[in-house]
Amino acid sequence: MSFDIALVFDSIPKMLEGIGLTLELLFLSTSIGLILAVITLLMRISGRRFLAWPAMAYIYVFRGTPILVQIFVIYYGLPQFDLIRESIFWAILREPFGCMVVALSLNAGAYVSEILRGGLLGVDRGLHEAGKALGMSTPQRFIYITTPIAVRLAIPAYSNDFISMLKATALASTVTLLDMTGVARTIVAKTFAPYEIFIAAAMIYMVMTWFIQRGFGLFERRMSRYVKP
Amino acid sequence: MKTYKTILTAVAALAALGAIQSASAETLRVGTECTYHPFNFRDSSGNLLGYDIDVARAVGQHLGAEIEFVCQKWDGMIPSLLANKFDLIVASMSITEKRKKKIDFSDPYRVSIGQFIGAKSKGLKFFNADGSVNAAGFKGVKIGLQRATTYDNWLQAKAPGAQVVRYDSIEALYLDLKNGRVDAIMTNPMKAYLKFLSKPDGAGYDVIGPQIEDTEYFGTGVGIGLRKGNEALLKRVNKAIRTITDDGSLEKFALKHFPFTIHPKKWKGAG
Repeated sequence: MSFDIALVFDSIPKMLEGIGLTLELLFLSTSIGLILAVITLLMRISGRRFLAWPAMAYIYVFRGTPILVQIFVIYYGLPQFDLIRESIFWAILREPFGCMVVALSLNAGAYVSEILRGGLLGVDRGLHEAGKALGMSTPQRFIYITTPIAVRLAIPAYSNDFISMLKATALASTVTLLDMTGVARTIVAKTFAPYEIFIAAAMIYMVMTWFIQRGFGLFERRMSRYVKP
Repeated sequence: MKTYKTILTAVAALAALGAIQSASAETLRVGTECTYHPFNFRDSSGNLLGYDIDVARAVGQHLGAEIEFVCQKWDGMIPSLLANKFDLIVASMSITEKRKKKIDFSDPYRVSIGQFIGAKSKGLKFFNADGSVNAAGFKGVKIGLQRATTYDNWLQAKAPGAQVVRYDSIEALYLDLKNGRVDAIMTNPMKAYLKFLSKPDGAGYDVIGPQIEDTEYFGTGVGIGLRKGNEALLKRVNKAIRTITDDGSLEKFALKHFPFTIHPKKWKGAG
């Protein structure tokens, strides 16, 4: 077993060519996912069955199936229908990037809406009552009391999901995209040195994760001002 | 002992021929997989058929030797030849530098080729009338191929204007060609014919341009393997391959399975 440490460092610059795509996928799909999550959450807690049930079904489907399967269904499955190929969605689904963003966003939406619900349920009842006693209306209480506290409570779980999403972007390499993992796999196929190349890729992902962790840590501190003086 | 062998009786005609040619007919044992359609495989009644089998029999005929087939799994093919379980490998084995260190190869009886496949209706012009690459015809065209294959290297060198889309599996290539995500694919036309072009899915699609026979990129092709130090036999085998190339036998063997030929068109001999 030979380990070529120089190859690890030689391959890092090449792999960084894919980092742009990885970040685009990450930020685009977490942003769209967050919007979906909030919509799903509001449907879920609306107390109206015709809104809550579709939300629950959506969450169940996307949490209940592997992302890779979802990507393959969206990428290879949907174009089998002429209806899809002739629709306006084809502009997005034709491109592997579009398919990837759709799959990751839908996934993030399902998970994050449950994370936010957890935060919401964690808000102490007493705070509602205090708000009521101060004469705040229901929307006011939701915006000024529930939401900030729920967000604060959801941060640790959400950062977890965010990091999972970073790693899920690696699946883009299965649908021809040259994200960081895609670049890594192409280099491996040329150099026959999987160990060195994937270690280099792992190192880059770990550096990215460190920044994400740190960012969420700061955000959490800021949102916790009300408990820590 | 994992390897098992089945010795088949040679075809009656060949046996008869061998008997006529010399009283002490030479017998050559040929190792092949017996499971690799359409090159070496069995039909429903157990007969060995295929391009490799036809080549082995024809070579035997020209050598005046009786051919006995030995079925051998792929991973034990070269070790078994070296262990004298058989004398020749005729099993679609590509000639590579690595293998050449262990065994000798005859001249190729099948080529390593690449070819483009796309929709007939698109009117893609990848080649000029004289068969040379039309680099301008590739500009902005999306070409699908398998990641880090020889096709990938060829395309990057010859048509840098093409937009290369890299796939993990060959099935995905056909799917995305049909879905319109790529304009054409570059692959092995034999595989493409068997799995795609000859199927209903492949209707409306065809090869674009000629078979690309570029040994610098795709290798020399497929040859017959022999133990080293067998110069006399190697010479005779090469002469036999030359004969069956020139007399149209190889063409006939290929046309049983494909609508095109698969032997080297420009005879070069193993360099």
